[in-house]
Amino acid sequence: MTMWLPLLGLMLGISLGLLSDIQIPQIYNNYLSIAVLAALDTLFGGIRAYLQQVYDDKVFVSGFFFNIVLAAVLAFLGVHLGVDLYLAAVFAFGVRLFQNIAVIRRILLTKWTERSKHSNTNAPE
Amino acid sequence: MKKVIHWKFTLILLIVGFMTAVQYNSMKSPEQRDTRDIWTIRQELSNEKQFHSELLSEIRELDNTIKTYKSLSDENTGKALMETVDKLHRQAGMTDVEGPGIIIEVRPSAESIALGAPITDISPDLLTRFVNEVNRYKGFTLEIDGKRFTTLSSIRDINGITTVNGLNVSKPPFSMKIISSSLKESEKMYNYLAASPIHDDFYLDNLLLDIRKPEASIEIRGFPERFDNQFLEEMPKGE
Repeated sequence: MTMWLPLLGLMLGISLGLLSDIQIPQIYNNYLSIAVLAALDTLFGGIRAYLQQVYDDKVFVSGFFFNIVLAAVLAFLGVHLGVDLYLAAVFAFGVRLFQNIAVIRRILLTKWTERSKHSNTNAPE
Repeated sequence: MKKVIHWKFTLILLIVGFMTAVQYNSMKSPEQRDTRDIWTIRQELSNEKQFHSELLSEIRELDNTIKTYKSLSDENTGKALMETVDKLHRQAGMTDVEGPGIIIEVRPSAESIALGAPITDISPDLLTRFVNEVNRYKGFTLEIDGKRFTTLSSIRDINGITTVNGLNVSKPPFSMKIISSSLKESEKMYNYLAASPIHDDFYLDNLLLDIRKPEASIEIRGFPERFDNQFLEEMPKGE
């Protein structure tokens, strides 16, 4: 039951964003996209940590906001220095996103295979 | 503990979803490509400039009114107000107007007379078309068959009879008068109307548009009816 609560939050957020019809100006598009990337990275990091049972509340929440702010600052700095620094953030977050998702997939796979093994061994009894 | 984790996840996911949706919204509406060429843009610019100058002249006029109000002493304030009211009456077309203009006569065409076709009323559509054609010029005063045509006037079909301001327009022949700001403007309008394709529209209805040469002085009567004031109310005195 509680498993659905986060999903409900996601749905609520998406519908809120779509229905409110907020559009940010073109020049801030970079910032938002990188913030979204940072948020996704932290989120998947959180899920991985939770599955590995090393989840820490403070790390997760602070990481979420800190990463977003850091990404935005990097993008801002990049714009003003004339170097596309936001690409660094995109790269870093992208790589981490893939790694995190890979780890999550492996953990889930192991869990799943273990469970099916259990049910197989349980079946003949 | 577990519940707390879920709540935080929910909150963070809500923020993530919101940000994603906003980003989606912003990306979804692609910038409209500007495909106008330089002449269209120039045209638009000139339109805007004209609008600008019109607004400026309006502001100047209002400034003048304010100045009159300010410069007048108390006993003369009433006079200034009366002047404004007179001006507004003039603008609304309630006063008689005299000035240079052209007289246009609408007659049944010679062919329809020869064939003995019945003479019918001019249709409201055709009359509206004519008014629109004249409306290309600004600052004129129009009268259709003795009925003053103002911004509030209507051309309608009432029980099969064409009316202006609710008054019947007589069967052709009847005349229309247009007063312009100057004789030069009248000549311009005369030339324009003489070459206008509106003649063909009239001819299709078995009518002829006979446009007379501009005259130095013609007269148009004012709009005889009083206006209804639906929204403004007089304040009780002493409050």
